[in-house]
Amino acid sequence: MASNPVPDHVPPEMVRDFSLFTSAGMLPTPNGDPHAAVACVHAGPPIFYSPYNTRNGRGTWVITRAKDQRRVLQDAETFSSHRSIFASVLGENWPMIPLELDPPAHGIFRSLLNPLFSPKRVMVLEPVVRERAIALIDRIAASGTSCDVMKDFAFPFTVNIFLGFLGLSDDRLDIFVGWANDLLHGDDVKRPAAARMIVAFIDELAAMRRKEPVADFMTFVVQAEVEGRPLTDEEVRGTGVLLFVAGLDTVAAAIGFDLAYLARNPKDQDLLRSEPDRIGLAAEELLRAYPTVQMIRVATKNIDFEGAPIRKGDYVSCATMIANRDPAEFECPNTIDLAREDNRHAAFGYGPHRCLGSHLARREIVIGLEEWLARIPGFRIKEGTAPITYGGHVFGIENLILDWS
Amino acid sequence: MRIIVNHATCQGHARCWAQAPDIFKLDDEGYILPGDINVAEGDELLASRGAQACPERALEIDRTAAAPESVFIQSRV
Ligand code: HEM
Ligand code: SF4
Repeated sequence: MASNPVPDHVPPEMVRDFSLFTSAGMLPTPNGDPHAAVACVHAGPPIFYSPYNTRNGRGTWVITRAKDQRRVLQDAETFSSHRSIFASVLGENWPMIPLELDPPAHGIFRSLLNPLFSPKRVMVLEPVVRERAIALIDRIAASGTSCDVMKDFAFPFTVNIFLGFLGLSDDRLDIFVGWANDLLHGDDVKRPAAARMIVAFIDELAAMRRKEPVADFMTFVVQAEVEGRPLTDEEVRGTGVLLFVAGLDTVAAAIGFDLAYLARNPKDQDLLRSEPDRIGLAAEELLRAYPTVQMIRVATKNIDFEGAPIRKGDYVSCATMIANRDPAEFECPNTIDLAREDNRHAAFGYGPHRCLGSHLARREIVIGLEEWLARIPGFRIKEGTAPITYGGHVFGIENLILDWS
Repeated sequence: MRIIVNHATCQGHARCWAQAPDIFKLDDEGYILPGDINVAEGDELLASRGAQACPERALEIDRTAAAPESVFIQSRV
């Protein structure tokens, strides 16, 4: 790395050899702990420049303190989200909605979608989510004393809930899991191919729902109005694609990291199994310790930010896994304390783009853990296997073979 | 005690509501209702927990304000 030219306005002493993509522990690593690896940045300056910190190798400023990340993310006027990351994989340029819109347009779409994902709405969805978790885990329990949590539970669970939102049955579940996988881990051929399939699928579904409305998310989107007009085809697509991209691997990875932690910490595992009331609080601590998303913003003007000469067009990275290990914000940030109180972690971001699916994600994680612990006896990582973890734009875990024989 | 609600800063995390749904009321989008909250005497611990749970720092605790009951009692005396 470091072959990337550093822009002239970046003082050389502010450049650090750190990257969420290429630093130690970021590439797929057996038994890795990418979150602990990035926590090391807190030994250094609060803000620095990383010459290689996006998937396509761009440099970014790295904001390490939670307090500074809040300032960046709450100020959408100075730090814009307008990037077309997904579309650029296809060589196109349309925004995922609402993720890549800025206020005021952002707020119009957020207001439209918020009621669908509000805490109260999620309470209504809860029985369905629980039923799906139970069905999957019962099948795993009945078929042996070992499984790959990612393949057999985490992904089918989250894809299933996504399909439920879209009013679709499970028969295409494997295809969706494949797309999600290719989009995440695929090479330069597989990624755009998967992206194209997802776009085609969303376009086709939108067309179907326009012809024959049913009671589901896509029907809501094609019938919705913003500012007295229906959504354009591009807006419908941007909204549908984001739901696919945002909700699958994030929740699956959270469940994977959580169960990996519990497999390695049998005392905590036993405690949560015998006192399931603790799972809600524990899930928050695990979201703090193992968050998955790096947020990137683009500076819309020159600004001197906490000593960093940020110039218009610079990328600014706010990685939740870094904010969540900030010693100024969390006491003993690298200690996982499942009873931690006042846990104002950044896993779902700050500011107007706060994760739209956060209430649903929280319920999926808590329900997944509750039902898993209630149905699977004491489990550990299967001997001779090693979960492979990775860093990058979205942190994750590829495989998690558990054994309860 | 009073909770000062900075409505513009609320981003609908609903962490306050998760602590105390009867004190922190949300609108249909899941964001806090505008207007400061006068906290009843027995609810102070719960209310301060809820306020401290806000990731955006949208809720400020004002301990100088009297609880609504005591105001009521005082005004009757
Ligand atoms: C543990 C699981 C999840 C994590 C850690 C997570 C994290 C995040 C973060 C950090 C953001 C902010 C991005 C930014 O500011 O640029 C975000 C936005 C978003 N998330 Fe999630 N997410 C999760 C699950 C979900 C689920 C299940 C859904 C869908 C149902 C979802 C839908 C969205 C949407 C639509 C946005 C964009 C919101 C906006 O731009 O206004 N997420 N998520
Ligand atoms: S916790 Fe803060 S941001 Fe969340 S709903 Fe309450 S006031 Fe709003």
